[in-house]
Amino acid sequence: MKKELMEILACPVCKGPLELTVEEEDEREIVKGSLYCGHCSERYPIEDTIPNLLPPGLRT
Amino acid sequence: MAKERSQAIKQAVKERYATLARRQTSCCPTPQIREGEGMYSRKELQDLPQNVAEFSLGCGNPTAIAELREGETVLDLGSGGGIDCFLAAQKVGKKGRVIGVDMTPEMVFLARENTRKMGLANVEFRLGEMEHLPLEANSVDVIISNCVINLAPDKDAVFKEALRVLKPGGRLCISDIVLKRELSLEVKEDMQQWTGCVAGALKGKIYLGKIARAGFVQVTAQDNSPREKSEASPVPGRLRDYISSVNVSARKPSVSG
Repeated sequence: MKKELMEILACPVCKGPLELTVEEEDEREIVKGSLYCGHCSERYPIEDTIPNLLPPGLRT
Repeated sequence: MAKERSQAIKQAVKERYATLARRQTSCCPTPQIREGEGMYSRKELQDLPQNVAEFSLGCGNPTAIAELREGETVLDLGSGGGIDCFLAAQKVGKKGRVIGVDMTPEMVFLARENTRKMGLANVEFRLGEMEHLPLEANSVDVIISNCVINLAPDKDAVFKEALRVLKPGGRLCISDIVLKRELSLEVKEDMQQWTGCVAGALKGKIYLGKIARAGFVQVTAQDNSPREKSEASPVPGRLRDYISSVNVSARKPSVSG
């Protein structure tokens, strides 16, 4: 995921802002990390460059 | 619709499309037509890597009707292997961006691999659900979608979310399957029919009504099925009496005053 995309990303449940934590990144994008919604106390993982923004009940 | 049934449908759709992504085969029971009137042009397909051009699960060509302009932000609902995102990316150019959302991890991984192969910097994919879009309100110029919304158990939620994320005056340009006549209850109950784009489809009038009720204006639809039955069609022969492929356009109202 590219950092620029943070501008328009939102929590899929409450549509509030997300806080980015980067664990690993390369020259192009964030490889591993998470997106945290303070309002829902929900953490959405970024794995292998792909943010998983499925609502909590649908993540398997 | 009961929540349990809605979840069961989503799970069935997810599993089915995960299998399709792994095998890179089509969702329709007959070999699919990708090129021709209402579908992709030869030029468009030639410019794509072979595995991308050959793996399309759509029933139209939404980027052809979307009149995309350079610099626009485009969202693809149910982006699959990414074909429509890649076509959109060429049209919006370096200053634009394209975001594909799909709820099936296998599809998102496939789309990301394809993006890398093509070296595109203005396309991104994420796992997400079209009923719960992970995007801010008023952030997108154009929403495209190709033969996906029919799969959603709650289409009202999909159109409501689409309206929310579009900027005022933003466009919705989708190709989808609608019913010409009602299906039997037996067909509707069959999960396999649902995942094959049939049981979840609505009659055209109802489908368009839902878009208008969500708050869209200038809702128009054009039949994308060929006039002659013998012509190549994205709709398999035995289903042509029941379903047709349509291109739908609508607009989010501009802020008044």
